[in-house]
Amino acid sequence: MPLSLLIWLPAVSGLVAVLWPARWAPRVVLAGSVITLVLAIGYVASFDRGAEGLQWVTDETWIAELGIHYKLGLDGLNLFLVLVTALLFAAALLHANLREWERPRLFFFMFALAESAVLGAFLAQDLALFVAFFDLMLIPFYFLIGAWGRGERVRATTKLVIYTLVGSLFMLAGAIATGVIAAEGGGELTFVLSDLAQVQLAEGTQQWIFLCFALAFLVKMPLFPVHGWMPDGYRAMPLPVLAVFSAVLSKVAAYGFLRVVLPLYPDASVHFQELMLLLAVAAILYGSVMAFTQTDLRLILGFSSMAQLGFIVLGIFALRPEGAQGALLQMVNHALVVVPLFFVVGALAARAGGSEDIRDMGGMAARAPLLAATFLIAALANLAMPGFANFVGEFYILLGVFESKLAIAIVASTGVVLASVYMLRAFIATMHNRAGSRAESRELSLGEGVAIVPLVVCVLALALYPQLPLARSEKSIDASVRTAQAVQR
Amino acid sequence: MTPEAPHIDWAGLSPIVALTAGGIVVLAAGLFRGAWLRRYGVPLLTLLTLGATAGLSIWQWGEDKAIVSRALAVDDLAMFLNLLFCAGAIAAVVLALRDSSPEESGHGEWHALLISSVLGMTVLASAQNLVVVFLGFELLSIPLYVMCATNLRRSKSLESGLKYLIVGSVGSATLLYGLAMIYGATGATGFEQIATALSSQAGLIDDPLTLTGIGLIVVGFCFKVSAAPFHQWTPDVYEGAPTPVTAFMAVATKAAAFGAFVRLFDVALIDAATNWSPLLAAVAVASIVVGNVGALTQTSLKRLLAWSSIAQAGYMLAAVVVADREGVEALAFYLAVYLVMNLAAFAVIVARERETPFGDDIRSLAGLGASRPALAWPMTLAMLSLAGIPATAGFIGKFTLIGATVDGGYTWLGVAIVVGSMLSLYYYLRVVAAMWLSDVPVPAAREPVPAIAGGSPELDAAADPEDGAGQDAGPDRPVSQAEATAVAVLFGAATLFFGILPSPLFDLARDAGSALGLL
Amino acid sequence: MDIGWYLAVSALVFCTGAGGVLVRRNPLVILLCLELMLNAANLALVAFARMHGSGDGQIFALIVMVVAACEVTIGLGVIVAIHRRRLPVDVDELRELRG
Repeated sequence: MPLSLLIWLPAVSGLVAVLWPARWAPRVVLAGSVITLVLAIGYVASFDRGAEGLQWVTDETWIAELGIHYKLGLDGLNLFLVLVTALLFAAALLHANLREWERPRLFFFMFALAESAVLGAFLAQDLALFVAFFDLMLIPFYFLIGAWGRGERVRATTKLVIYTLVGSLFMLAGAIATGVIAAEGGGELTFVLSDLAQVQLAEGTQQWIFLCFALAFLVKMPLFPVHGWMPDGYRAMPLPVLAVFSAVLSKVAAYGFLRVVLPLYPDASVHFQELMLLLAVAAILYGSVMAFTQTDLRLILGFSSMAQLGFIVLGIFALRPEGAQGALLQMVNHALVVVPLFFVVGALAARAGGSEDIRDMGGMAARAPLLAATFLIAALANLAMPGFANFVGEFYILLGVFESKLAIAIVASTGVVLASVYMLRAFIATMHNRAGSRAESRELSLGEGVAIVPLVVCVLALALYPQLPLARSEKSIDASVRTAQAVQR
Repeated sequence: MTPEAPHIDWAGLSPIVALTAGGIVVLAAGLFRGAWLRRYGVPLLTLLTLGATAGLSIWQWGEDKAIVSRALAVDDLAMFLNLLFCAGAIAAVVLALRDSSPEESGHGEWHALLISSVLGMTVLASAQNLVVVFLGFELLSIPLYVMCATNLRRSKSLESGLKYLIVGSVGSATLLYGLAMIYGATGATGFEQIATALSSQAGLIDDPLTLTGIGLIVVGFCFKVSAAPFHQWTPDVYEGAPTPVTAFMAVATKAAAFGAFVRLFDVALIDAATNWSPLLAAVAVASIVVGNVGALTQTSLKRLLAWSSIAQAGYMLAAVVVADREGVEALAFYLAVYLVMNLAAFAVIVARERETPFGDDIRSLAGLGASRPALAWPMTLAMLSLAGIPATAGFIGKFTLIGATVDGGYTWLGVAIVVGSMLSLYYYLRVVAAMWLSDVPVPAAREPVPAIAGGSPELDAAADPEDGAGQDAGPDRPVSQAEATAVAVLFGAATLFFGILPSPLFDLARDAGSALGLL
Repeated sequence: MDIGWYLAVSALVFCTGAGGVLVRRNPLVILLCLELMLNAANLALVAFARMHGSGDGQIFALIVMVVAACEVTIGLGVIVAIHRRRLPVDVDELRELRG
């Protein structure tokens, strides 16, 4: 079964939705994403965990003149990210099905296109193809946020798009330079990642290209100090869009470090290791502090995500297999946790007269035990309570960093403590405390429950069995980190 | 004893012959009295001429010869550019079908001028001689000066015609003076002889005459391709000219001028490259910066595209600076891409000019995504492509341009292209935002069209609102713009197609790129 | 006589023309100045042709004369059209298009 099917199925369902009557569009696209999810589960089930390297490789020449291949493949690095993407898009589309949208055909078409682009970015095994999908992701989000967002949507969208595209253009320049300079020794021009990894670029070249890629990825995540688009963007996005944006798009960037940067630019990765670790720590501390001071639930989650992504970058740039393993697990965890949290925010806002400010909430748990329970589970998972897979992930990350940079690891550990402070603050302020003026306590409706509860069950399942992704990703992680680790020695 | 007649390669000359004959026929056909013949027969004949020229150019594909005493080259670069000119002119004819400018100036004349401008471009694209360069430039420009002014009722159109004439002539005169200097320095007008002279005679490269000549030629070319700092005329002329003319001018003139640019600099003056490449590189960077900054605040779409064309000229100049086969290939590819995406955008502007009372203001696009998706999608694709977003032809085009600059050792020029693209995101996305993210504005009152002193009653009748043409058509009287929509959809689809499957275009561009015999 | 003198005169004429285009406001005078620029080039071409002893430059100059005539004709035509629209015949007053 070719991987192209997995990528393009959502987009095709989106096209079908455009051609059918408007009231069918939500269902059609939802069905497309559910089938994609089933396919993804099929891939995970039949993944050969013993084999090294890519599986189900599709390798077609796309643009022969530029050496660009349409090469896709699954390995331990992207296997679970693909599964989580399919799962979360299905969940978000289910959530989007709960309400009416203006111009539904275009909305759901764009949503489906976004899923295709994200899956493409995860599966691409050619640098130019990766860049193309990475940029393409932004187009549907531009429309989704700009046309269906709230408040100052146009300004927020423009800001978001310009921030991320500026990063992407630097990445484009870096990618072209990688291919062209690698071919200068007389080799044929190619952008296939496995071929590029064979060529060792000069260290100076690696360094500027590394900075190009790092900028693109850090903006996309976003990490302090290039997060300027984040507060406005998070406020403006429609909720299901925000959920997948926060959960999945940031992971594409983190995944890019593991897939592209570490194997292709190992010398530069070692050279800039401390810089990246410091940025990560800054993001953890800044994100935690900001999450603690915000009152808008979206921004609390946004800044908490920044702190979590700080941990992920920390794990990657420990340049140790343990750290990268933890980072990968944490990517899956965070994506799985943040989507139900955003859905809970939506549910809370519906009970607080539309406000997403925690000062307007309070006492929500009184007559809604299921809502309170799901929120509590997701919040505890997010703050990495022992027993949850997030704890395992952060543990691995810190283990990796302790081995390489002790001082940074100690500072970063405080982030774990801060996480419990801001998550519990948000939980107590909304669910307990005195009831807000407009807040009413109401149990989850059936629709909300269907969207939220399965995800929370997934979080719990992963807590019981974190070995599921870890065992399958081990070999690929080792391969990704190996070169950089060798340089460091 | 009769002197032996020189051998004439009719096959090689055939595109030029077809254009000349077609121009005369069209001009004559415009004299007939039948309104139907004038309004539909003349454009049809024009389309036939252009189609024949394109067909003959395809027929001559793969030839590599020099004709007319080695003054004209028949090679793949010239034929590739011929196809671009014909595509641009065909689009202009279709867009002008219901435009007021051929109506006011006479259909026969308008179309004959268009054909002679294409003829000038064809000559210029295959020029192998300084004299032919000048002749081609003038044959291309002089009809365009008139065409800019063909909207006789709009003072803006006349004004743009005069401005273009003055600025264009200054450019031509400067270019000519530079060509004279090169002739003076090398004693030759043929490109091959100039190249031989420059490479064989020591010290000639740094001769003051050569240097002055190169400097003046660069200035002249900058006027023609609208590169900074000689770009000021571009926004005014683009805005004032009738939109179909602007569309043709924007895409075809640029292709022709760049065709001559690479031939002159990368063939004749290649040995002096150390002298001109820093100059051209500086001009390229200046154009990228000036064009992109200038476009940021524009509200008129035609002015916006004019500033963007200045920036795009900068990107393409970077490929000339590289001066190798890959550079020419990237340039040829980008010229084609540039044509496709700009024509899509201009077709939408033409349609909206006639449908709304806002002219070419950005407000004319408001809410287009909901009301006219068939126009909104091509415009969106064109803007995304101009900005260089993946899955559009512009992305692949920029990819090849940056690749060529990096490979040619001008990484910093590649970075300049990237930085320019970043600036450009702002204004291209503003257009997209207007279409998809904003609401429909309230139309303002229409301005009456003043009469011409000494104008004929016939002309006045032609401009009557009942005609359905011209910028008088308000939203209260919806006019179906089927042909403009078709052009927009066609070129929008091409933008997408070449973004996903660029290989066919690459094959053509590669043939064109290897025509100059560069490494 | 040294070719330098011819070139000096030609450069002087060219600069006069260029200066005229920049400072004069009447389009008719501007057209005149454009002619000066073209003819300066012609002078240089003819001088060079004499120097190199080849006919190329002279042919070039002849072609330039034809082209110059065309340009002026077109220029006059546009000016007449503007006059008929009762627009001011003064380039500084032509400012409907903000330049």
